[in-house]
Amino acid sequence: MSEILIRLRGLRKRFGRRTALAGIDLDVDQRQILGVTGPDGAGKTTLLRSLAGLLEIEADEASVLGFDLRGDVTELKRRIGYVPQAFGLHRDLTIRENLRFTGRLHGIPEAEFERRSTELLARTQLAPFGARLAGALSGGMKQKLAIANALLPAPALIILDEPTAGVDVGARAEIWTILERARETALVVVSTSYLDEAEQCDRLVYLDEGRVVASGTPAELQRQNPRELVRAWGDDPRAIARAARGITGVVTARASARFARIEADADGAALVDAIRRLPGVRLVEPAPADMESTLRHLASTRA
Amino acid sequence: MSEPIIRTTGLTKRFGDFVAVSSLTIGVEPGTIFAFLGANGSGKSTTIRMLIGVLEPTEGAIVVDGIDVIARPRRVRDRIGYMGQKVSLYQGLSIRENVEFYAGLYGIEGRALDTRWGELRERFALAQTENERPENLPAGIRQRAGLALATLHRPRLLFLDEPTAGVDVESRGLFWDRIQEEAERGVTVFVTTHFLEEVEYCDWVSFIEAGRLIADAEPEDLRRRYSAGYGVRVLAPPASRERAARILTDAGATLAPQPDGVAATIAALDAPLLAELERLREIAGATIEIVQPTMTDVFRAVLAQEANGGQAA
Repeated sequence: MSEILIRLRGLRKRFGRRTALAGIDLDVDQRQILGVTGPDGAGKTTLLRSLAGLLEIEADEASVLGFDLRGDVTELKRRIGYVPQAFGLHRDLTIRENLRFTGRLHGIPEAEFERRSTELLARTQLAPFGARLAGALSGGMKQKLAIANALLPAPALIILDEPTAGVDVGARAEIWTILERARETALVVVSTSYLDEAEQCDRLVYLDEGRVVASGTPAELQRQNPRELVRAWGDDPRAIARAARGITGVVTARASARFARIEADADGAALVDAIRRLPGVRLVEPAPADMESTLRHLASTRA
Repeated sequence: MSEPIIRTTGLTKRFGDFVAVSSLTIGVEPGTIFAFLGANGSGKSTTIRMLIGVLEPTEGAIVVDGIDVIARPRRVRDRIGYMGQKVSLYQGLSIRENVEFYAGLYGIEGRALDTRWGELRERFALAQTENERPENLPAGIRQRAGLALATLHRPRLLFLDEPTAGVDVESRGLFWDRIQEEAERGVTVFVTTHFLEEVEYCDWVSFIEAGRLIADAEPEDLRRRYSAGYGVRVLAPPASRERAARILTDAGATLAPQPDGVAATIAALDAPLLAELERLREIAGATIEIVQPTMTDVFRAVLAQEANGGQAA
């Protein structure tokens, strides 16, 4: 099924003299998990807030779910679930009361509210804590509640701003399972700075200085990365990494478990030879670009 | 094994009825990077605050660099550098002015300060931003400045509490390169993080859940216990395939047939095997691909086993 969910042309946003978004073009025509990543200050949050209809923007074209972001977005906002970085729910209400509050706000009929809230509490594994005050929840549980709350009105688009920042590994995995499930009924737009999460997105948009620098599936972006990545296996990876930093073209070298992970802007064969000659190296493994080197390369292309 | 530079015995902290840390016993070898992991609210920050002598434990003993931290909390502070989740830079002062302020506290001044800061400014890529105020800088640069400041007085130990939280990939990479350099110089690093791939950059990992240790080992050891092992794929010309298969079988690998070579799963990659694989690559023109089980998967297995009452899932 294909329809235009998002179509942006030259989306711009300024805060006073600062340009946060400098002309974003973006087309999304099917439900998926769309990841937004990029360095600090790239404009990720501003883009997400713009898509949610929370900011006044300028654009040549800016349509989300068929609504023009430059016009009246009241109806659009009813169809969007938005999870901001900071916890925005009522701390002095319980989990169930928070959901009920949202249900009333959206005029969800009682029977449907019961059905949906019960299902969401089960899906987020929050059911046993329904009577607990939101303010007393752990970071991961707060985020799951925020997501359940955003999903309650069955939005066609759910936007999440770094929902797993500072969340532990168990809760992070649960949150991703919830997002994968949400993709069945909604377009999911999520910003992240985790490498493993960037890899799990169906499509990734890399922003820098308010522009889309690259966009594609994680595999496509990794294939386009011209940087060489070599893993040098040996007995003392940290010493290998230190020695490798002296090789011309090496951008970063770091011990990672049993190997030194070496990224370089250099000719592959010459690099492998140079690394092979470092003391303590047992095996040189030229490796395909990974998400880390891909994102770092994109960051280095900054004008 | 050398004498641990950090040693806690039965370390416990209670706040009223709430047990934040429960009988924690850990040892950290000098010059290593020690990753301290756990869910939010599992007691990580509380533990660090006790280790650096700013929070008194309810029970237990702490020795840091030969000093009884509970008896003499002030003495330990000259030997350590600390960086918290909120970097302790003064707003309103430029990075350079912050440096001068901290240097003053440690009694570093004049030419010694110029030399030391000149070196740190270079290593932490801060030359272009030293005259900016921290509140105007992105989180990644603030964190780098925070780490540079924490190492200003050349501490023997560094305590870093989620130093890379909310920081982009580029800054995280640069940050870890520097942390490993510190360890190379003999500095002991005690670090908490939520990024599991960062555990790979450390020598040891302790995982605390509800105030109790559920893993305490070298990352490689955890990988051996909680994953199927390394995947090794050798793409080789037909003439060399048999040799590749023999090398892997001799090393104890389980082989799987492949149209263009051999694939194997193996618990550990020891030095002789790596050397044999290198010969295959260099001489026989083979392509070697090694797939390392990720720490994310390893920790999911650790947590699954824990949820299963300690039985393998």
